[in-house]
Amino acid sequence: MEEVINDYISRELVQDASLLPLGNATSLLETGILDSLSLLRLVVFVQRQFLVTVDDVDLVPEHFDSVDDICAYLRSRQGGRAGQAVGHG
Amino acid sequence: MGERPGLIRVGRLLRPVETIAYWLVVAPLLALLPAALAYRAACWRGDWTFRYWPEKRHEVVRNLRQVFGDELGQDEAERLARDIFRIRTCEVIDLMRLRGRARPLRGLVEIRGRDHLDAALAGGKGAILCSAHFGSYMCAFSLLHAGGFPVTSIGRWWWNYPPGQSSVIRRMWDLIYARRVLRHRQRPNIEPWPGRVQVAVQAAAALRANEVVTICSDAPPLDAERDRAIAVPFLGRQASLLPGVVTLARLTDAPVLMLFAHRSADYRHQVLEISPPVPMQGDTAAAFGHCVAAMDTAIRANPAEWDFWFEPGDLVRLGLLPGISHAPAVRYSGAQ
Repeated sequence: MEEVINDYISRELVQDASLLPLGNATSLLETGILDSLSLLRLVVFVQRQFLVTVDDVDLVPEHFDSVDDICAYLRSRQGGRAGQAVGHG
Repeated sequence: MGERPGLIRVGRLLRPVETIAYWLVVAPLLALLPAALAYRAACWRGDWTFRYWPEKRHEVVRNLRQVFGDELGQDEAERLARDIFRIRTCEVIDLMRLRGRARPLRGLVEIRGRDHLDAALAGGKGAILCSAHFGSYMCAFSLLHAGGFPVTSIGRWWWNYPPGQSSVIRRMWDLIYARRVLRHRQRPNIEPWPGRVQVAVQAAAALRANEVVTICSDAPPLDAERDRAIAVPFLGRQASLLPGVVTLARLTDAPVLMLFAHRSADYRHQVLEISPPVPMQGDTAAAFGHCVAAMDTAIRANPAEWDFWFEPGDLVRLGLLPGISHAPAVRYSGAQ
C-alpha cells in the first residue's frame, strides 16, 4: 500500500523534483505537495484504488500528512483488506 | 467635474459614517419601498459618492483606461465609472431585497438558461456554476437557491482575512451581509485559504449530493497559490488565474456552466444568464480558456458590472495592471 500511494503522489502530485524520492514519513502539507485540489485527487485515487469511502470528518491533517499517515488511516478503514489494492494505475 | 473642494472635504469626513448608515439603516428602509423608487434613490447615492469621492473616481477611471487602453476614451471611462458607483450601491438594495423567500428580488430578475441547469443536474453529478465578481453575483447565487436549486458557494468573505481586522467589523458584516446571503444557501460558504486542504473535497461532497457549487474564477491567486496559476488571455492581457474549476469538474465529472447577472438600464431589473455546459476537453489551459473567454465576453459587454475596477491591488495581482508584486493578497474593501 505504501508503495502504491508513494508512487501515485510522486508521479501525479509532486511538482518540485527536489522532493523526490519521497519519504513515506515526509509531511505532504509542510512541503506544499498537498493543497486543496491535490488532496481531492488523492482522495479520489485512494477511494478507487482501495475501495474505501473517505468521510468528510476524516479530512484532517493527521490522516493525510504523510504516506505513512494515509496508510494507517486506510488500514483503520479497511480492517483486514488493507493490502488488497484493486488494480494499479 | 466642477465639484467644490469644501464639499469634497466634508464628503471625505462623512463617508465612513455615511457608508455605515447606508448599510445599516438607509438601504434596509429603501428596500421596503417600491423598486423603482428604491433603485432610483440608490443611484442618487451612487452619484453622490462618485462626485464626492474623487480619489476613488480617478482611480477607477485610470484602471478602466489602463486595461482597455485606446478602446476607451476619457468621457466614456467617466461614464462607466459613474455607472460602477451606481451599480455598487444598487447591489446593496439587491441584498436587502433577499428578505423572506427573496420574493422582492425574484420579481426583478429574469433567469435565462434555467433549463441548462435542470439538464445538468439530471445527470446526477451536480453542477458547477462558474462566474466572476460581476454584477450582483452573490444575490444571483442566493436567488437560484431560493428558486429551488441547492446552492453552495466557494468563496471567501472579504472581511474575515485582513490581518488585525476587528471582531466588531467582522460581526457587523456577518450580520448585515453574510446572514442575508446564507439564508438562501444549502451550506455555509466553502472558504479557500492556504492550509485549508479540505476545501475541494467539501465541494466534491456537495456535487456528489447532486447540488450546485458556485465559484468565481476571476479571483486573483494568493501568494501561496501563484505556482498553480496559469497564464490565460483575459481582457487583452495574459492574466494569472487559478484553473481550479476545471480540476474540480474533471475529478467529479460535474458539468461546468457559466453564470452572469447584469443590470438593465433602469438599474432595478436584472437578467441572470446560465450557459450550456462548457467543453472540458483538452488540456487544463484549453478547458479553462473557455471559462475565461466567457468572463471576458461578459465583462466587455457590461464593463461597469465588474467589481475589480474598484480594486487596483487585485488588478495588479491578476496581471492586468503593472504594479508592485506585493499588492494586497486579498480584497479588503468589499463595500463602499
